[in-house]
Formats: sequence, structure tokens, C-alpha cells
Amino acid sequence: MTTDFFLYCIINTVCVALIAPLFVSLVKKVKAWTQGRQGPSLFQTYFTLAKLLKKEVIYSKDASWVSRAAPWICIAATLSASLFVPLVYVTEPMGGIGNIILFLYLLVLARFFMALGGLDAGSSFGGMGSSREMSISAVIEPTTIIVFAALAFVFRSLNIIDMASIAAATGTPVTPTLILLGISLFIILIVETARIPVDNPETHLELTMIHEGMILEQSGRNLALLELSSAVKQVVLMGLLINLIVPWGIATSLSLIPLAEAIGIFIVKAAFLALIIGLFESSMAKMRFFRLPSLFMMAFFFSTLIIIIEVFA
Amino acid sequence: MTDAAFFDGIVKVLFVCVIVTSAYIITTKNLISLVRVYSLQSLVLFAIALALWWYTNEPVLLAIAILTLVFKVLLIPYFIASIQERIRIKRDIDFHFLSPTSSLLISLGLMIAIYITLSRILPGSVYNDTLFFFGAVIGISLVLMGMMVTFSRKRAITKVLGYLSMENGVLLFGIFATELPFIIEFLIVIDLVILILLTTILTVGIDSTLEEYHNRLHRFYLWEEMEESS
Amino acid sequence: MIDLAFLAGVILFLAGAVIPLATISQGNRLTRSIYLGCIISGSIVFSLVSLFVLVNNVPVSIHAWQIFPGVKIGFFIDRLAAFFLFLIGSVSACVALYCAGYVEEMEGGNRRNLFFSGISIFILAMSLIVTSENTFSFLLFWELMAAVSFFLVMYEYNRSETRRAGIFYFVMTQLSTLFVMMGIIILFFATGSFAFAHAPVNQVSAPLLTAAFISLFIGFSIKAGIIPFHKWLPYAHPASPSPVSALMSGVMLKVAVYGLVRFLVTVFTPDLWWGVLILVAGTTSAVLGVIYAIKEDDIKGLLAYSSIENLGIIFVGIGLFVIFSASGLSLLATISLLAALFHSLNHAVFKSLLFLSSGSVVHAVHTRDMEKMGGLAKQMPVTSLLFFIGAAAIAALPPLNGFASELLVYTAFFESVSVINPLLKILLFICLALFALTSALSAACFVKAFGSIFLAKPRSPACEKAHEASLSMLAGPAILAAACGILGVFSYQILTGFGFVLPVPDLLVISIVLLLMGGLVYLGLYFTSSRQTRIGETWGCGAPSLPSSTEYTGHGFSEPIVTIFSSIYRTGKTSTKTYFDQKNCMFAEGTAEIRLVKFFEEYLYLPVARGAYRGAKFIARMQNGCLDTYLMYVFVAVVAILIILGVTA
Repeated sequence: MTTDFFLYCIINTVCVALIAPLFVSLVKKVKAWTQGRQGPSLFQTYFTLAKLLKKEVIYSKDASWVSRAAPWICIAATLSASLFVPLVYVTEPMGGIGNIILFLYLLVLARFFMALGGLDAGSSFGGMGSSREMSISAVIEPTTIIVFAALAFVFRSLNIIDMASIAAATGTPVTPTLILLGISLFIILIVETARIPVDNPETHLELTMIHEGMILEQSGRNLALLELSSAVKQVVLMGLLINLIVPWGIATSLSLIPLAEAIGIFIVKAAFLALIIGLFESSMAKMRFFRLPSLFMMAFFFSTLIIIIEVFA
Repeated sequence: MTDAAFFDGIVKVLFVCVIVTSAYIITTKNLISLVRVYSLQSLVLFAIALALWWYTNEPVLLAIAILTLVFKVLLIPYFIASIQERIRIKRDIDFHFLSPTSSLLISLGLMIAIYITLSRILPGSVYNDTLFFFGAVIGISLVLMGMMVTFSRKRAITKVLGYLSMENGVLLFGIFATELPFIIEFLIVIDLVILILLTTILTVGIDSTLEEYHNRLHRFYLWEEMEESS
Repeated sequence: MIDLAFLAGVILFLAGAVIPLATISQGNRLTRSIYLGCIISGSIVFSLVSLFVLVNNVPVSIHAWQIFPGVKIGFFIDRLAAFFLFLIGSVSACVALYCAGYVEEMEGGNRRNLFFSGISIFILAMSLIVTSENTFSFLLFWELMAAVSFFLVMYEYNRSETRRAGIFYFVMTQLSTLFVMMGIIILFFATGSFAFAHAPVNQVSAPLLTAAFISLFIGFSIKAGIIPFHKWLPYAHPASPSPVSALMSGVMLKVAVYGLVRFLVTVFTPDLWWGVLILVAGTTSAVLGVIYAIKEDDIKGLLAYSSIENLGIIFVGIGLFVIFSASGLSLLATISLLAALFHSLNHAVFKSLLFLSSGSVVHAVHTRDMEKMGGLAKQMPVTSLLFFIGAAAIAALPPLNGFASELLVYTAFFESVSVINPLLKILLFICLALFALTSALSAACFVKAFGSIFLAKPRSPACEKAHEASLSMLAGPAILAAACGILGVFSYQILTGFGFVLPVPDLLVISIVLLLMGGLVYLGLYFTSSRQTRIGETWGCGAPSLPSSTEYTGHGFSEPIVTIFSSIYRTGKTSTKTYFDQKNCMFAEGTAEIRLVKFFEEYLYLPVARGAYRGAKFIARMQNGCLDTYLMYVFVAVVAILIILGVTA
């Protein structure tokens, strides 16, 4: 483990953990503006997390060790996955960190435990949330794999950190295939972070919540961990989209000025993406659950088309 | 940023847009967006023709582009949209034979099958120039996808739009694969046919399914029975 | 020296077969421990022998008995055979350890001795199959394994469903032996010997070799449970006792995989279309297997369908191996074959773990129906942890072993863009998308399984009184669970140790990273967060203490998936109505039925069975028991001989 890589891990994790709650509130603020409201403050998520940490944890009497272990495993898995996506600094990857399949499956690990936690307390809300979450993730999985296969083909590498270095090295021309892949990655981002039209992240009505349903029984520090892990997952997927499609400004050396610039530029780019997400969410209604497979089929069609055009033409 | 690579990239994106609009036409149930997507498809075709003209500098392509823009992006969609406003039909829910998901899967399979067939039929020289070959493949796919719309949907207006989409496919195929002057005449003839078809449907009932259309024709004495003529 | 060890193992198994029969009248704990000890030690000896060969890479050849010239029984252990021998030995040892506790709970009295004698012969037969030196001994031990397994499945013969399952299983296994025999005989005609040696491909032998391959492929697919030959698995596994299910699913199916791989690697030079056939069969089994698994209520039926899915994944690996080696991409071929073999080992480990721990659960709750279980994590904590490790492994969660082998398959798929033929590339992409789908669906399936059985509240009175399994019933699965962890976390080290340096990530690093991240968060929160906890009620919209009937059931959990894939789950709806009046207005009574159409049974197996029955009835007319007919046959034969002699002279 070279010192470069070690410092990369530290910088990336710290950035992710600090920046992630900001973008959750930013999307909420954009949605509030489109609805004509002021919305919560940009730092509200930080305050919420701090408040939750001080509260006591209540476990249901029917819950088993799964409820106690799930938040820790979720946060560990998402933070480990965050190591795979370089946000501000790229370097030579080591020890297999950055492998795109491992990245996907670390997120699956987090989702598996969250689903089990939803079933654990024996409430119907959690059961419904878990069942819908596992079904949606099953149907979007072929599309995700095809998009990742297309990315691996375009960048000729199976390692995300390598892909980011290649993108940063070639600099500008963004080929049209990458734009199309960006659209596919955006669809995957919407699905994985449970945003409208797939799921409503601000609802608390039982029939409309998928992600919220699974974490309904959690409280206190556990809830803070699960909220942080969702925020980290969102920022990691945003980082994947940004640093592969519009990689300008990422730091390739460890000196202070490029790093500070990279952090600033990343925050600007991610804010822009959060703005797009907020506007996209505000422009449509949540789809009925059983109409989602048709939407995913369209996404699959789109991704396969990109592969066909890229590989055969 | 060389010329050819840039042109290549732009045309690839436009191909994807064309196929996506065609897929949307196959699966949508909302008739108002159907017409808008059709005009978007014609706009993309206009963009392709324009790009090709800019790259190869053949004036015929410019003529085709302008013809497409005037008729297919502006006039025909405006015509159909104004009729829709009068008749106030908004949805076409029924699918015959195929569901939206299976239509998408079949279109993917069709594209692959056409690619394979064309690569075996056409001589080697055409195959080498991959973008033009691909344009031919996409053109034929568009024709077949339009044909799928024609048989799998029930309302007459959707069938007409499927037919128009087929014609877009012929245009695309013509731009990329065959000699151009012949195609222009071909296209004008087809446009006239469409105009006549539209007029008859307009007078009789654009919001009906085909069975009702027959009944209405009978009712308006537009189709004489054999017995009555004796 | 190794031959002596091998012989010692064989003798231990024979002792394990004979001792129960000898002590059948006196059943006490001592004799049971003795013969179980024989089985366990025999398995351990075989594992050690195989490890020795694997590590040293020195093949061992043991000649046993020459029956005729050219037909002999001999054993040859090279690395491939040693790998499968290790698989058989280690899994059997753990299953036998589990049996040490299970045997006390089994019903049947003296029948248990016959049972364990059968198990010993079963394991011995499987070990001898994978170490066979020529196809003749392969076939001999294959038939022995098939015959003994039938008796094992029929252990509880007083139940009608067991009898039906046993007969079905017997027919299918004989069918598989038939095809394997046919393949071996055609191979003998093509090459002239029974040896496992490379068959030269020329004008004359090519069609014969293709026919042999098809026949062998069908035979091994029937045994491995590849769709459409899979129907016996969901009947046989629930009907047999848990150790037998574990052995059959974990080990016996892998012997079929060994057969296929051995013939493909050593004897044939495969064509490209062979690989496409295997790949398509594997993908179909994987997708359909997991889709049917999600709908199951019976825990063992769910595990059986999940085995079909995993065997599909193994066949995908083998198919990729054949495709890549026929296209000349040797690195990718190595990765695919390693993926298939590694997944065989992993599946053997975690599937037997799952069957054994579900056996403990079924024994504690006295039902196999998942809809009647629940809340067992609090009453059987160790079993729940063991089942959880198996479920996490089979759902391919990093860093366990299921993920390690699926990672190899994914790597092979992703690198396959270097294949030249565009048609082949399209096929590989489609198979990649379907493979991802099965992986995600299997995760959903095991969330359902684990959640229904162990989480939430108990759904039946029997479930509330369940108690933890005995220590020996926990020891075997615990070793398997530890193996799951070790094989996963150290997968890169194991592969490099055997000389395969592959471009796959090191899971040890990831495990350390996961632990570090968890540790750091814990440390960070130790000082900043409140450490108070309280036990409260589950939120039920204000209603106090909701009963267990309001929880989400397994059926409900799988309902969205069943609806999304409803075109694959065919349901037949029939209704009959009777009316009071002639115009059918006033409804008197009626029945309505929604049933899941058992697609393969009704459209494939039953028509074939009925056709066979009709054919058999037709031929049976020739043997109608009447003496006159037989005398007439003799007369006709003599007359025919006379005429032929007269005409040809």
C-alpha cells in the first residue's frame, strides 16, 4: 500500500462523509423552490444527524440481532464502496479497490441488510418496503450491469479509479457514447437513491414508501447511520456520473492547491447535478409500482442500444 | 477533434435518438405526446440530413432536409394535432398481440436480425463504411417498428402515425443507402398518399377503431353494397 | 504411500457400510458413534489425500483389478479429480458430523442402520467415480451411486409423497445412466478404448464424437438438474432426510459436473456450438431456477430450486470455457473454468450448510412450511447465524465465497468483448444481463427465506416452542460456515497459491476495509452518541401488540416479483358455475380455482410418460402369457430359418 493510495483513501472518505449530507438538503431545497417554498436550510441534514445521535435507540421486542447489526454493516459497506469512486483525487488503485463489480455488490450488501432489518420487527410497513425494494433492485440489475459493461468497454478497464484517471487524462472531448451512458447512469442514480418516479424519499405514507418503509423501525443513532449511508450512496453515485462523464478539474497530484481546487469544482459540479435531480423529481409524479418494470424495460432498451451502437458500429 | 470522428459521434447520437423515439411511439398510450414525438423524430431526421449535407456537400441532401422540416416537422403534426384538439381523443390503451415490454424486446431482436442479414447480403465494399451501413440498418428497423405499431395498436390515428414512422424509416434508408434523386420522387408520392388517407379518415371518423370505421362508411353510403347497385 | 492412504479411506468406508449391518439388532450410542466415526474419518482421509495431490501436483495412479483385457478398474487422481475428491470428502465429513446428532432424533429404529450403511456406500461410490481411471469404472460406480441414492431417498417410505418422489427420482436417474452409458459406448466405438484419453478428431470419428458428446451432455444434465430435466430435484430433496438432501444437492450434483468437465477437458476437442449449447442451458436453468425458487413455500423445495440455479451458473462457466477455448482466448478460458470449479466447491459448502441448518429448523418446528415459521432467531440463535452465513454466501455478498466465484464469472463476461464474432458477442451480452438478473433475484429469494423463518414473530404454536439444536448438529454446519468465510476472504490467496494469477480483486483487502470502516464509525460514535437503549413495541399505527398474523408473509414478500414475471409463472384459472334459471342469471353455486400450471410437468414430462406407457402397452401384447403364442413364435422362427437357408444357399 503506497502512501499515495493511503492518502487517497483518507481524503476520499473524509470528503464523502463531510459532503454527503449537503447534497441531500440541496435536492430538498431545489424541490421546495419549485413548489414555491423556502425549504429547509442547506445544513439541515447535519443538524438532523447530530440530533439523532443524541437520542436513545429503541428496539422492538420482536427484533433480533439483525436490527442491531444492520445499521453498522450498511454504513461500513457504503463507506467501503465510497473508496471505489474517486471524488477529488485520482491515483493508481491497489489491492483490487475500484473493481466495478465489487462496487456494485458492496451496495447490494448494504441493501440486503436494510431489507432484512425491515422484515425484522414484524411490521407490515417494513415487510412491504423490503419486498418492493428487492423486486425493484432485481429488475434494474440487468440494466446496471449492461451500463457497467458499456463503461468497461469504453474505458477498457474494469477498475473505476482507472477509468477516472483515463477520463481525466484525455481531458475534454466527451464522446457522444459517454453522453448516452451519462443518461443511463442518471436513470440508475434515480433508481438506486429511491427518488421520484421510483420512490418518494419524503413520504411517510405506507403505500408509497419503499426505502422509508425499511427504516421505519430504526431510531436514534441507528437511524442516523442509515440516513448517512443513504446520503453517502447518493454522493458516491453522483461522483461516478460526474467523474466519468465530465472529469475536468479532478486532482491528479497530491499538492494542496490542486486538491482545494478539485474539492471546490466537485462541489460545484455536484450542486449542478443535484439541481438537475431536484428539477427532474419535481417535474413528474411517482409512478405506480407495477408500472415501474415498463420504465426499467425502456432503460434496458436504451442501454442495450448504446452497447449495440458502440460495439458494432 | 477531427472532422470524421466528430461527424461519426454526432450521427451515432442522432441514431440513438431516432430509435428511442421509435420505441416511444411503439409503447406510448398518450396520443398527444405521440404526435409530438413523431415531430421530434422528423426533427432528428432533419438534423441527420443536415449533418450529412455538411459532411458530403451534396445539395440534394439539403433539399431533403428542408422538405422534411417543412412537411414532417411542422405541417403534418400541426394538422393532426388540430384534429385531435377538435375530436378530443387522448388515450389509446388497447394493445393487440403485443404488450409494450414484448414490443421493445422484439424491436431489439429485429435490429440484431437486420444487422446480421444485411451484413450477409450486401457486398463487402458497402460493409466497410460502417456508419452508412448502420444507417441502412436503422432505416429498415424503423420501417419494421412502424409496421409493428400498425398491427399492434387499435386506434386509427395510431396506425396512421405508425405508417408515418415507417415512411421516416424509408427516408433514412434512402439517405444512407441508395441513390438520392429517385428517393425524392418516391417521397413526394408517399406524402400525397398520406394526405389522401388522412382526408378520408378525417371526414369519416378519426377517433374510431377500424370496425366502427366500416360501420360509419356504410352509414354514410360511402361504400355501396352489391345488392343496391342492381 | 498415497495409494495406501487411499486404500485406507476405502476400507474405512466399507467398514462404515458393514458395521451398521452387523449391529442392526443392537442399536446403542456406541455402535452409532463407531460407524459414524468410520464415515467421518474415511472422508477426512480422502480430503487429505486430495489435498496432497492438489498441493504437490503429482498424479497418483492405482490399479485395482483387471476383469478382461481392455476392461479394468483403476483409479487415477490428478488435480481435477483431487479437487472434486476434496469437495466430496470435506462436505461428507461435515454432514456425517451433523448426522452424529441427527441420528438420535431420527425415527425408524433399526432402519437407521441400513440408512447409514447406504450413506457410507453412497459417499464411497461418489469418491470412486471422480477418481476413476477409465470410463468403464466411471460407469460402474455411477450406477452404484444411482442405485444407493434411490434407497436413501426412500427412507420414509410410509409417506405417499416420498414414494412418488422416490420413483420419479429413480426413473430420472436411470435415464441419466442410460445416456451416460450410451455416450461411453459411442466413445468406445470412436476411439477403441475405455481410457480417459484425448480422442483424435478425423472424418470418421467426428460425427461419432459429436453424438457421444450430446448423449453425455444429456446424461449429465439430467443428473445435474438442468432445465428441462430438472423436475426430479424439487420432489426428491424435500422428501428425503436432511443429510441426504445435503449430500445429494451439495455433492452428487457436482459429480455430474465433474463428469462433464472431465470429458470436455480430457477426451473431446470441443466445437464452438457445444459451448453455446452449454451456455444457453446454463442460463435458462439459472433464470428459471431462481424464479421458481421465489414462489416456493417449502423450505427444502426453495433450496432445491436454488440448487438448479447454481448448477445453471456452473454450466454457464463451463459453456464460457468451451467458447473461449474454441476461440483461442486461453486466459479467459482459464478464468471461466476456474469460476465453474470454484463455484462448484462454494455451492457444495454453502448449500449443504443451508440444508443442514434448515434440517435442524424443520426438526425443531416439525413442519417444512415457511409460512408457519418465524421468530426463530431468538429461539435458535446459533442456527440462525449459520443459516444466515449460508444465505449471505448464496446471495453473493462480499466478502464470502459465493461472491468470489460469481466475480470470476463476471470478469470472464466483461472481458469477453475481445471475442470476434458479433453474433457471439450479442449472445454473451444477453447471458450477462440474465446472469445479473438471477444474482439479484437469488438475493431477494434468500431475504424472503431468512426473513420468513428467523425474523419477526412466530406464526404457529409449534414454532413458539422450538429449541436450539444439539451441539453435534451445530458442529458440522459451523465448520461449513467457517469454510464459507475462509474460501471467500482468502480466495485470491488460494488461487495464487495454486499458480493462477488472475486480474480479480483481493477480498482480504476488502474485508479488512469493511472491518476498518465499521470500527472507525463505532469509535467515532462511541464518544458522540447516546448509548441508551430501550425495548419497545413495533409501530402498529397505535394498535397495541399486533399478533403474528399481521406480519408480512413469505407469499406477500414474493408477490411483486411474481406479478412482474407473471408471464413465466403460468396460472390456470378455472371456474364452474351452476345457475337456477335457463338464462344464466341467478347463480346457484360454483367453484373457482387458481392453480400454478406446472409447465414442465404438464407439457413435457407427462406427455412423454404417457407416450412411453402407450408404447409399452403396445409391445406388451407380444407377451400376453398365453402358451400358444410362445409356441407359435418358436414355429415362426424355425420356418423363417428354413426359408432363409433355402433362399441363400
